[in-house]
Amino acid sequence: MVTQLLSSGDRALARAFIEAQGLAFEPGFDDLVGAFEAGALVATGARAGDVLKMLAIDPAWQSGALLGEVAGELVRLGLAAGHDGLFVFTRPAHAPSFEALNFKLLCSRAQVALLEYGGRFDRWRAAAEALRGPPAPGDAPDRTAGAVVLNANPFTLGHRWLVEEAARRCQRLFLLVVREDRSAFPFEARLRLVREGTADLADVVVLDTGPYAVSAITFPAYFLKAAHPVAEIQMELDLALFGQRLAPALGVARRFVGTEPYCATTRAYNRAMQRVLPAFGVEPVELPRRQLGGLPISASTVRDALARGDEGALPALVPQATLEYLLSDEGRAIRARLGGGKGRHA
Amino acid sequence: MRIARKAQAGTMQSSDLMVALEPADTLVVEIESTVKQQFDHLIRAVVDEVLARHGVTAGRIRLTDRGALDYAIQARLETALSRAAER
Repeated sequence: MVTQLLSSGDRALARAFIEAQGLAFEPGFDDLVGAFEAGALVATGARAGDVLKMLAIDPAWQSGALLGEVAGELVRLGLAAGHDGLFVFTRPAHAPSFEALNFKLLCSRAQVALLEYGGRFDRWRAAAEALRGPPAPGDAPDRTAGAVVLNANPFTLGHRWLVEEAARRCQRLFLLVVREDRSAFPFEARLRLVREGTADLADVVVLDTGPYAVSAITFPAYFLKAAHPVAEIQMELDLALFGQRLAPALGVARRFVGTEPYCATTRAYNRAMQRVLPAFGVEPVELPRRQLGGLPISASTVRDALARGDEGALPALVPQATLEYLLSDEGRAIRARLGGGKGRHA
Repeated sequence: MRIARKAQAGTMQSSDLMVALEPADTLVVEIESTVKQQFDHLIRAVVDEVLARHGVTAGRIRLTDRGALDYAIQARLETALSRAAER
């Protein structure tokens, strides 16, 4: 019988148990549950947002139904909390145990597998395929499109130039705007400015990544300040997910990216693209950044100008729609925040 | 009846299923099952029968099944429906 572990005594038991199973105890969960047999804790699991973690089962009990009981309780709690799906990271060897519980394998690498419960990816793919349109007759799998994944925080003339250059190199270009809302500019605004800033370009389709690219799920270290030891594993998983799932759904054969002048994490990500994507039939294409007065235009240049209060610099850095947004009341509220502390991509 | 709120029923145990319901403008039934290949059509028939009996014409119905028998599917779905109904 799975119960919530609420008392400090139960939580101390859970911590000792989880660490004894070789996992790290990570505080900051929404739910922590466990199962007892004859007074001893034999299984645990936790949920943080829409991610299940710290799933551990006493080796003596692993052949039974405990994983289903623990995962089922966590899924129940997660759905009740309003999530429409739940992720779990596990060792690749354990992926089949979760598949037997109707989790779907999204991506498996040497060290980690990512699975999802709730059918969200199928819904994302259906929406993406509806935008993509039917493949040409007799031409499956039709791989003629290109893609750019961008945070667009906010959309600049540098992005615009990259989009124009990429669009010239393929029949259709998908712009995947990072949905994760951890940046200075909210997702809805970033998405709208990309739409407005590219509305005049034929065969450019804007859609959102969902949680499936550069998100707190696939690549949390992108949103951290310092270099993170597991960033390398995360970015490879993020890119493998793109190659294995997103690219086939959209018919993408090439992923375009701008050279990264400032940020070491993004540079490492661009290098990882070269390592990971070709195996999935996706060619990574790095295009030089557009420069202004010898300096590359990037969204961080724009945020720096905003933080300094240098409105005069903006028209040379951003398209009209972004400029109007930055000078609007909503944009001003964000600029006030930028004046204070600021993190990477934040 | 009308699905007025999110609701769920069931477990992830073998021979059981989890049902999750939420309001929607049209009727959408999504079935995941470890025995989908063999029994998808039979599961769907049971779901359709229960929904028709309760006059449900709109909502998103998600089932994740681990080989439940007909009466378990009926019972879990009816429990979820009564939880999702207007009070």
